Amino acid sequence: MKAGRRAKILVVDDEPQIRRLLRAALDRAGYAVVEAGTAREALSLLQTQKPELVLLDLGLPDRDGLEILPLILAQSDAKVLVVSAREATEEKVAALDLGADDFVTKPFDTDELLARVRVALRQRVAAAAPSGALTVGLVTVDLMARVVRRAGQDVHLTPKEWGLFAELARHPGRVVTHAQLLRAVWGPAHEHDVEYLRVTVRSLRAKLEADPAAPRLITNEPGVGYRLIDEP
Amino acid sequence: MRSALPSDGSLRSYALAILMVGLVIACAGFAQTLLPPASADLLFLIPVLASASLHGMGPGLFAAVLGALAYNFFFTEPVLSLRDYRLSDTVTFLVLLGVAILAGSRTARLRRQAQLAAARSKQDAILASFSRALVGAEDEAALGQAICQEAGRLFGASAALLGPGEPSLHLIASHPPLEHLGSVDAEAAQLAMSLCTSAGRGTTSMSASGWTFYPLATSQGVVGALGLAREDDPEPSAALGEPRLATILDQAALALERRRLADEVADVERLREQDRLRGALLSSVSHDLRTPLTAILAASAQLRREGRSDPDTLDLLDGEARRLDRYVANLLDMVRLEAGALRLRTEPVDLIDAVAGVLRDLGKGFDVADLRVEVPADLPLVRLDPHLFHHCLLNLVDNALRHGGGRGVTIRGLRSAAGLDLVVLDEGPGLPPGQERRIFETFVRLRGSDREGGTGLGLAIVKGFAEAMGLSVEATNRSDQPGAAFVVRIPSALLVESLRVNAE
Repeated sequence: MKAGRRAKILVVDDEPQIRRLLRAALDRAGYAVVEAGTAREALSLLQTQKPELVLLDLGLPDRDGLEILPLILAQSDAKVLVVSAREATEEKVAALDLGADDFVTKPFDTDELLARVRVALRQRVAAAAPSGALTVGLVTVDLMARVVRRAGQDVHLTPKEWGLFAELARHPGRVVTHAQLLRAVWGPAHEHDVEYLRVTVRSLRAKLEADPAAPRLITNEPGVGYRLIDEP
Repeated sequence: MRSALPSDGSLRSYALAILMVGLVIACAGFAQTLLPPASADLLFLIPVLASASLHGMGPGLFAAVLGALAYNFFFTEPVLSLRDYRLSDTVTFLVLLGVAILAGSRTARLRRQAQLAAARSKQDAILASFSRALVGAEDEAALGQAICQEAGRLFGASAALLGPGEPSLHLIASHPPLEHLGSVDAEAAQLAMSLCTSAGRGTTSMSASGWTFYPLATSQGVVGALGLAREDDPEPSAALGEPRLATILDQAALALERRRLADEVADVERLREQDRLRGALLSSVSHDLRTPLTAILAASAQLRREGRSDPDTLDLLDGEARRLDRYVANLLDMVRLEAGALRLRTEPVDLIDAVAGVLRDLGKGFDVADLRVEVPADLPLVRLDPHLFHHCLLNLVDNALRHGGGRGVTIRGLRSAAGLDLVVLDEGPGLPPGQERRIFETFVRLRGSDREGGTGLGLAIVKGFAEAMGLSVEATNRSDQPGAAFVVRIPSALLVESLRVNAE
């Protein structure tokens, strides 16, 4: 973290124990933490505290998390990380479609949670000044120059492969839903053609992964989307 | 029906006719002193009319003959003699006869109508008492008992009511109570129901049976069969007549159907309530159990980061908490499965992704170094619900790691004649022979092997989820070495064989 100003995170969860533990973990990692137990409290703290990131539990006592997610995004420029139960695939996709940055599944792994937090906060910075270059494991991508290298060797990608990889590389470490990828690369008419996505991901993996049968670079969240892993 | 032979009643009516004619003779004799003798014949109309209209044509004709003779004898010259017969006497005789015939036949018709009305009201009373007995029965058994009792009473026979059942008919009730029907009788009942015709004693089919069975049919189909039996009478239904039997059978059938419909409505209502409760339980269990688990894991992570505890102990804590989480997930899945509340969201799935997802989940709490993946990257995509399949595979691999003797587990994907097989192999002691199928039943933990421990839910969920998606699962022992092999068979219908490539 940059010295001087600590990024502020609003933790919205109705369980005090979870809030306490999240505060401890985030505090330790160098973030400033504010807590809210209800949707109403969260919306008012959003105005007064102006957090950079909101950790939003979808199961709130007073209002549905999916309902206040658009309000948070409209009333602030905070990023939202959704915390949800494992079963709720549809809920995750809905939250991402509404503009949430990513999700964490309960019970979450603290390391994983902190990694997601880092990604979300870094994207705020990256979005402000896109450097255009990214290194993930052995693979380097230059979004401006449209060049992909693996272990120093240029890799030739077809236009669709490039489109897909670039879309993932624009959001490194963050899940991008199937529909978002299909809209971006194939156009809105093909939003549901998951098959195109699978085929193109396969050929990308064949070109970029050390072992295409055990992908480490481009991973899939079942039923949700793909993620370009940017941390080892 | 009235008999033509004179009964006591009709003998009396003839005696009454004689008496009335006698009275008229006496009256006419007295009146003769006041009136001209020619009008005396009219008086004889009185006994004729009275006899014919009160007692029918026979006594009427009798009175007419008697009256004509008496008139001739007492009131025509020569008095007290039948001689000197004249034309006017014949006219008197014919008039009296005609009146008797007219009045008698009219009476007969009225009486027939009265008898019919009485018979009809008696029949109505029988049916009314029958349907009254059927109303208010609280369940099928009570209704069946009422039907048998009433039918038995009406026909003076033993009665038995049967309903459809598996594998043989189900004896709903009988009067007097029976333990069960003989096999011939049961066959006759089965025949009556399946052909919707009477069968058994006194009919053309299965007449060796001691019972006669009648189908109970409604517009919805055959709902049961009513059997009647009487020692002394091969056709007990004859006692009440065919139309009445049909009405009684119709009433019984309708009552049975009504009862069943009411039961079904109650069942649906109960199920709906159960579903509502189950839904509420699901979300509350999910929340209430997940929250402490999340807290435990977060607390353990904090201890680890602060270096305040032994890493091995923390690994144990993490592993067990995650195991508990998987049990909770399994429980929730099982409830959802049994409630029929699964909604499939199918999409083309790359098995590579499915396996990688499972390894990622297991990696958090398991040592997966011993896990070998042999799934080629060029297998066809499979149309599956990714979430259900994830749980299916997670449980299979978890089971293999836990029960496979702690040795190597292999996940292998391969083409088969029928489509695609995804196999999870372990190097443990394998399954006890003959138990391969049972292992997928809920809460079965196989004894006689070290395959104990665990809730036994995992494999039942594997089977339930797999079948919901159109897959099948099999458990066998490995042929190449000791160990169990769990095979998920993916039929070719679910494979996406010719990939649509739009990659230009």
